[in-house]
Amino acid sequence: MTATTLTDRYVDLTLRRLPARQRPDIERELRASIADAIDDRTDAGSDPAEAEHAVLTELGDPARLAAGYADRPLHLIGPGLYLDYIRLVVAILVIVVPATAGATGFLGILRGESAGSVIAGTLGTAVTTAVHIVFWTTLLFAVIERTASLRTVPARQWTPDALPQPPSRRARHGTVIAESVVAVLFTTFVLLSPVVSTQTDAAGDPVGILSPWLWETGVVYVFLGLALAGLGVTVAKSYLRWSVPVAVAAVLLSVAGTTLLIWIAAGDRLLNPAFTDAAGWNSDVAYWTNAGLIIAAVLTVVHAVVETAAGFAARSWVTPSWKSMIHTIVDGVSLRTSRR
Amino acid sequence: MPELYALHQQELRRGTIVLACLLILKKPNYGYALLGQLDRSGFAVDADTLYPLLRRLEKQELLTSDWNTEESRPRKFYRTSDQGAALADTLSRDWEELNAAFHALKEES
Repeated sequence: MTATTLTDRYVDLTLRRLPARQRPDIERELRASIADAIDDRTDAGSDPAEAEHAVLTELGDPARLAAGYADRPLHLIGPGLYLDYIRLVVAILVIVVPATAGATGFLGILRGESAGSVIAGTLGTAVTTAVHIVFWTTLLFAVIERTASLRTVPARQWTPDALPQPPSRRARHGTVIAESVVAVLFTTFVLLSPVVSTQTDAAGDPVGILSPWLWETGVVYVFLGLALAGLGVTVAKSYLRWSVPVAVAAVLLSVAGTTLLIWIAAGDRLLNPAFTDAAGWNSDVAYWTNAGLIIAAVLTVVHAVVETAAGFAARSWVTPSWKSMIHTIVDGVSLRTSRR
Repeated sequence: MPELYALHQQELRRGTIVLACLLILKKPNYGYALLGQLDRSGFAVDADTLYPLLRRLEKQELLTSDWNTEESRPRKFYRTSDQGAALADTLSRDWEELNAAFHALKEES
């Protein structure tokens, strides 16, 4: 028999998605049910072909029907696992992505690559790592969702102890004052550095410690502008309620400022060569100053990103707790894999 | 508003199909006939929901099944098991308690 009816094709497609041992019984029952429904319609005066079409339309997508028979979820990750999934993905992302990206950038600098290729390599590693983390974690949870024995693990009981603690008023004043003082001292130092220096040139004029290139290009003003905007964000974080715009502005400013610093340091444009020569510094000093600044910048970005992620999770200004974040990862992984 | 009603109605009715099946199937019947019977009794349900549901209830040993091959078209007949009947009694009592609770609420207000 070569002519296959719509029903044959429908039943075939449904059965293909079912375990082999269930197939014969379900096929027999499904065919009888479809035939009964078609008979009812033709008895009422319907054309057989139309009746078959209408009955199968009513039964709906074979994939959905098969999922019903096989008791398979029609979602990737259900509500029972969703929160664990999101927390784990965020926790791994904010720890691993900056770490691998920072390591790549640092190695690029050590190899003496150009600023452009260091930044491109760092971003490339960040994207690749993030995609891998999201993909494999999602796959793991999708498997857990579909494996009954792994789903029987009871979810960790939530307790109010997990609520983030808002910083006290005094601590907030303290942060703002400390950051303002640091910002003023830093800005004064930078702006005065061309005219106030321990070294002088042959004509007796001061030789600034920072590269004149920064002033010629105006980069120094961009950098100071970013630093002052960052101070504004600290004030906003201390006295305003958490909001998406401020949170995004905070992390963008931090990333912009540190990227600029990395760019300057990676291109060896921070220290004035005339100054290091005059001071008789070894050429290694400039190198390690740049490397140290880059490491500090990377750590700052990591901190900012973690804080933002934690803030988004808690919808409030929180200081990230590395301890609890690592706990989440360890608990999440061991709960799901070891206990069955 | 009609969508909102349909949404809440669906939420409210979820689960009543199981009880209706357990009650109806105290007399053995097959899937397609049960579909019509549920519809006539006011428990509208889609075929693609009912057929898998019957198998799930069978797996939970609330229903038993037998193939009837006496007629020209073999049909799988389901019947409520003793366990299923006991569950149906308990669920019916729950339903009546809910009903009474609603009445009490309405009288209060």
